[in-house]
Amino acid sequence: MSTLDFLFDGFAVAFQWQNILFAFVGVVIGTAVGVLPGIGPMSGVALLIPVTATLTSGLQPEAAAASSIILLAGVYYGAMYGGSTTSILLNTPGESSSVVTTLDGYQMAKQGRAGAALSIAAIGSFAAGIISLIGLVLLAKPLSNIAIKFGPAEYFSLMLLGLCAVSGLAGKSMTKALIMTIFGLLLGTIGIDAVSGIARFTYDMPILYSGLEFLTIAVGLFALGEVFKTILERDKEDGAIAKIDRVLPTKQDLKDSAVPIVRGSLLGFFIGVLPGAGATLASFFSYIAEKKFSKHPEMFGKGAIAGVAGPESANNAASGGAMIPLLTLGIPGSGTTAILMGALIMYNIQPGPLLFEDHPDVAWGLIASMFIGNLMLLVLNMPLVKVFAKIIQTPKKYLLPIIVTISFFGVYAVQYTTFDLYLLLACGVLGYLLSKNDYPVAPLVLALVLGPMIENNMRRALTISNSDFSIFLTRPLSLSFLIVAAIWLLVPLLLKLKGRSVIVNDEE
Amino acid sequence: MWGKLSKAVLVSSLALSLVACSAADSEGTSSKYPENTITIVAPSGAGGGWDLTARAIAKTMNETKLVEKPITVENKPGGGGAVYMAQFATKEAKNDYALMVKSPPILINANKAEGNSAYGYKDTKPLAQLTRDYGAIVVQADSEFQSLQDVLDAIKADPTKVTLAGGSAPGSMDHLVGILPAFKFGIDPKSVKYVSYDGGGEAVAALLGNNADVIATDASTISEYVKSGDVRVLAVSSTERLEGVLSEVPTFKEEGIDAEFTIWRGLFGPKDMSDAAYDYWTEKLDKLVETDEWKAELERNGWQSEYRNAEDFTTYLEDQDKVIVELLTALDMQK
Repeated sequence: MSTLDFLFDGFAVAFQWQNILFAFVGVVIGTAVGVLPGIGPMSGVALLIPVTATLTSGLQPEAAAASSIILLAGVYYGAMYGGSTTSILLNTPGESSSVVTTLDGYQMAKQGRAGAALSIAAIGSFAAGIISLIGLVLLAKPLSNIAIKFGPAEYFSLMLLGLCAVSGLAGKSMTKALIMTIFGLLLGTIGIDAVSGIARFTYDMPILYSGLEFLTIAVGLFALGEVFKTILERDKEDGAIAKIDRVLPTKQDLKDSAVPIVRGSLLGFFIGVLPGAGATLASFFSYIAEKKFSKHPEMFGKGAIAGVAGPESANNAASGGAMIPLLTLGIPGSGTTAILMGALIMYNIQPGPLLFEDHPDVAWGLIASMFIGNLMLLVLNMPLVKVFAKIIQTPKKYLLPIIVTISFFGVYAVQYTTFDLYLLLACGVLGYLLSKNDYPVAPLVLALVLGPMIENNMRRALTISNSDFSIFLTRPLSLSFLIVAAIWLLVPLLLKLKGRSVIVNDEE
Repeated sequence: MWGKLSKAVLVSSLALSLVACSAADSEGTSSKYPENTITIVAPSGAGGGWDLTARAIAKTMNETKLVEKPITVENKPGGGGAVYMAQFATKEAKNDYALMVKSPPILINANKAEGNSAYGYKDTKPLAQLTRDYGAIVVQADSEFQSLQDVLDAIKADPTKVTLAGGSAPGSMDHLVGILPAFKFGIDPKSVKYVSYDGGGEAVAALLGNNADVIATDASTISEYVKSGDVRVLAVSSTERLEGVLSEVPTFKEEGIDAEFTIWRGLFGPKDMSDAAYDYWTEKLDKLVETDEWKAELERNGWQSEYRNAEDFTTYLEDQDKVIVELLTALDMQK
């Protein structure tokens, strides 16, 4: 049987009425999970496993597995759709993968273009979902073989490239961006070191053993920082509420977004395939790439629609890409896919090299249902844009307490500690001070994500090579990442030396 | 006002009588506990031995209706289990709704010198040992190594040429399983190159991607990859040959290495678990191991059943603790 035959069989499974229903329930819950901060895709999926087990208990084991994984996967990619909403409207990222969306999405909302930002995020997510699914159908096997070749050296170089690309997130000053990067890396070292198990910078406080929670820092810096800024600098704003002119994006918006969506989708898909890299990294990379390729990089951070379209496509495509190592190798690439894998195992279905042979109905049924689910999400989300866009019209005196409440509630729901609430507050103050003095906070957040991964992979690579640093240069993929990283840093510098004015390096 | 007060008196007297009940009859407590969703934590990524055990317990308890409240499984990876252990021993110490699946690392981490954990089994309430598993030495299907002897010869000839990987930190279980044969073979265990990954799944990925030459992992989790023909198992750490997929694989002893290593897995409650919850779980676990559903789970995962109730398990842990200290001392890695 060819791939297409299998896919048609998959559609036959996915079009069974109960599976359509399961997919629908999944994406609706997923959207809600994405919109509500504090409950991320991971806990959303985990909480629903027992529910689906009950719902499907009357079915044959194989059919039950297919139905429940269809629902759970719906929650997973549905959350990627919904995750952008609070980022755009309230500057409060609901999941780590939509942190970068706040940069331009919130600016767009401030300019009264919330509707356009939300709908472009939905359209981008849809396009990305479909592109990554086609990739999944056509490239699953060869890509899983490449992904597995990614050793510690390749991961290290890829992530180093990510850090070097931080210039793309810089505001006016590269120096300040680099300072913030280092600051983020330092914060990332707190906790028990995963390679040796030794506690670092914990001062015997067990609360620090698992490190600082990324979401706490991000919500504090972005959302609370913005709240403080609005309160303290109230006199500068006349209090007029940005008017929403239209809900749908303009023709120009669509034109500006088309290429970023495709680029974000492809980038997100390939990064998603790598175990451990994930949607957050994909969205950052996409943002940086869009800024680099844009004809108007100066517009980024001021409400460029490409800065929403690219990352939102990328994080959705990454969730499709992450299904490849999960289904073909039994290796979960992220926390959420790990839980999906657990759900499959619960039904006696072992994801791994034999999945497509042993349980074609489950594997292909899931893939087919993801096509249907993505379509449902688009249909579901476009009308919701109108509803959500109203939020921004809420007067500031009501909106700010809402943001504060959501931030505290969200952080507490994830961490269950008051420590994180203090940390949240501290990050809020810090976020205000930093942005007031033009220190960009995005590099800090990116470095906090990348730091531990860079470090662990570097040490693994050096163990393999007996502490010989040439391992990063002798492996072709690793070398090419390093070369791109070097170019990224050096070219603007050289151009500047030649006296050309370069936007990213525009120090005042 | 009076109504409120009398209600309070009523409630507290009810609570008292419940406590009295629990002393006399453990059935009485089960009506009170549990009131919420229970979480079993696997302190590693998904797909490893702890994770599978946690999920098997949660699934069987719920399916057989032994526990009516839903049980969810959470993965808390890091530091070979040490990261969550710190949280479990402190933050969750009084949380009757947080349980943890653990295995020898709970002893190893507390005893080894480097990267030790401040917390050991004494900071928990052992509830039951449920299974035992064994370590396996695994290579890629087309590896040049045909036997454990080949691997050991190669390491002895040049330890910098062979990369051993595992799903846990240096000095923890996968590492011990991997270097134990080397140590017995007369190789300096510190010279063996060991790369640690977050969980057995990542270690298998490293092996399949040629980023490791040999991995040490659990015998039960590797079966799927053996079936698909991606890997070969060179030896297992049991005293006798295993059944099922790995029946052709020799033991360490057969390969001329005088060593064995048992990976027991058990369920732990928090240190200050209430008596009601403790009684509840010891009773439920007693019943669990008798059910056909649980036996089917063991069969499916290729686990050997070995049940010790809370009391026996605690005694067993005390003995095992001494064994681990001896082993680490021999490897010059003890605290």
